[in-house]
Amino acid sequence: MDLFLQYLANGIVVGSSYALVAVGLTLVFGILGVVNFAHGEFYMLGAYAGLTAITVFHVPLPVAVAAVIVVSALLGWGAEVILHGPLKNRDATSSIISSFGLAVVLQNAALIWIGPEPQLLQTSLSAIPVEIGPVFMPLQRLMLPIATAVLLVALHLVLRYTWTGRSLRAMAQHGTVARLCGVRIKRVAIVTFMVAAALAGVAGFLMSSVYMVHPLIGNMIVLKAFTVVILGGMGQIGGAAAAGILLGITESMTSAYLDNGLRDIVGFVIVIVVLLVRPNGLFGRKADRS
Amino acid sequence: MSTFSRRQMLSVIGASVAAPAVVRAQDTSPIKIGGMLPLSGPAAIEGAQVRKGYEFAVAEANARGGVFGRKIELVLEDDEGNATKGVNAVRKLIERDKVPFIIGTYPTAVCVAATKVAREYKVAMISGGSTAVAGTDANTVGDPWFFRPWTDSNGQGADTAKAIVHQFHGKKVAIIHDLTNYGVTLADQAAAIVPKEGSTIVAREGFNAGEKDFSTLLTRLRTLRPDVVYVAGWAGDGATIVRQAAEVGLRAQFIGSGSMLSDDFIKLAGPASEGFAVATLYEATTPNKVGRAFGERFKAVYKHEAGTLNSLGFDSTSIGIEAMRRVGRPDSAAIQQMIKGGMKDFPLVQGPDGTTAAFDDKGGVTFPMFIAIVKNGKRTLS
Repeated sequence: MDLFLQYLANGIVVGSSYALVAVGLTLVFGILGVVNFAHGEFYMLGAYAGLTAITVFHVPLPVAVAAVIVVSALLGWGAEVILHGPLKNRDATSSIISSFGLAVVLQNAALIWIGPEPQLLQTSLSAIPVEIGPVFMPLQRLMLPIATAVLLVALHLVLRYTWTGRSLRAMAQHGTVARLCGVRIKRVAIVTFMVAAALAGVAGFLMSSVYMVHPLIGNMIVLKAFTVVILGGMGQIGGAAAAGILLGITESMTSAYLDNGLRDIVGFVIVIVVLLVRPNGLFGRKADRS
Repeated sequence: MSTFSRRQMLSVIGASVAAPAVVRAQDTSPIKIGGMLPLSGPAAIEGAQVRKGYEFAVAEANARGGVFGRKIELVLEDDEGNATKGVNAVRKLIERDKVPFIIGTYPTAVCVAATKVAREYKVAMISGGSTAVAGTDANTVGDPWFFRPWTDSNGQGADTAKAIVHQFHGKKVAIIHDLTNYGVTLADQAAAIVPKEGSTIVAREGFNAGEKDFSTLLTRLRTLRPDVVYVAGWAGDGATIVRQAAEVGLRAQFIGSGSMLSDDFIKLAGPASEGFAVATLYEATTPNKVGRAFGERFKAVYKHEAGTLNSLGFDSTSIGIEAMRRVGRPDSAAIQQMIKGGMKDFPLVQGPDGTTAAFDDKGGVTFPMFIAIVKNGKRTLS
């Protein structure tokens, strides 16, 4: 039983990173209808931005987080200008393909300018162990679920109680009607991309002290995030958060009780089954998009 | 009958005088040789290190004046550890750059796919770090086109398994391996030999190369209380495993596969790398005199100790260049013949003193490996 709790905790740590990345992905899809394959690169570049801030400029942790948010948000803005702005009236496949292109460009740019060698952010937190009952982990791992919870609650409050949040939700419900009611669509699109990229960037930065960073880390995480988004129901923010944690736990349990080699397969098998049985995802509502 | 005008006659004479000069002028252009490595992706750490070995060998050959009066130019392609990209890289090197031989690559699966293509073009390949026995097993016996100037994974697995049992006194052994050809063959070999030497295997687990979280797997291994954990795979994953094992409190002797140990590994794994051991082809403190001299020259240029991957990249490249020099022209088929039988006197920097590039009829070279251990954050030979 003690071990079960430890496995559960490990799963929640990994799952919260999936959740953080997937929420941004589902936000962009739900509000703007853009399937963004370059989302994993926001994660990767966020990690590098934080690493650079700390190892090159020697800034304290909160400043580094702020730097990551600024850099990622700017990237998100750039992505909106490329992926959404000029393509929003075209077929959905146009933005999918150009997001693939953007992912390749960003990855290779990182390979050329940063280099392929993996890097790791060494912080003083890694040496501090935390014990909660039978569960044991270094503090920096524990930071992941905590930071995820804080960010997701903040996101929820913004969406629920601010004017910006209300216009984002209005866009998600019906773009044309939102515009008729005075929502500035261009601004909403930019804000959506910036928020999504910032979430992914912060996730990348948080993970850079736990896992290694190299230019291709975005590939696997974006696949996992898509799994999570489909499981949670496309466009469902709460669904993505729950499904992310669930996927992390499932992977951890697979590795603990079945076979470690199966852990990457399990998520994708579940997606196929869910799509067959519940096409709107585990938490998806049936809705007709007009 | 004479249909030649005077002007034509003059131009023919003029051309015959000028032509050798033209040919000679082309002769001083650099000779391109092909290199292929994973410079990005999960084997990027390894690729970057092997690359230094290639470049060092080429630089030294050029400092000696190149071959037959021409400089050598290394054309390097990134295969990303991907078989499709590897095959494309080989085609590009042979068709576009007309290279007479190729040094590469690191992942064995990519080597096997790439050599198939290179053999069709009659261009020899010399391993850039591929160690799995599948690389040379894919050769036709007696007519190899893929050469590996060091011991294969079976030899490495056997040497490591014996060290696990006898040198590190592992009674209960856990094996973690990646699911590449290299990791699986090493694990198979260790799993076969460890029980024969009198110890037990308590666990054997696979993982996908490039996986980032091993905490659950390592937590479970901790409950089995192994004395020795053998990690067969690439350096990036090995460093992650060793670091996360310390985090979950798994205390055991960690032993890695051949090329894992480098200064980068020690940096990435941090203090957790202390005591980590590998069966290795080369260490800077090697008793091999040629190897020792290479290590000193290497350190003078790169400001760090040469490691296994630097040394094997150096050996493979030097063998190719020397074979081409002995043939006397960049003729790929003749170079393959020369590597196959004509290099038995050529000393290697890897292996014990006196190791030479004496390839067997499957394209491999066999010699016993060293065991290297991390002590006080430095690599030492046991």
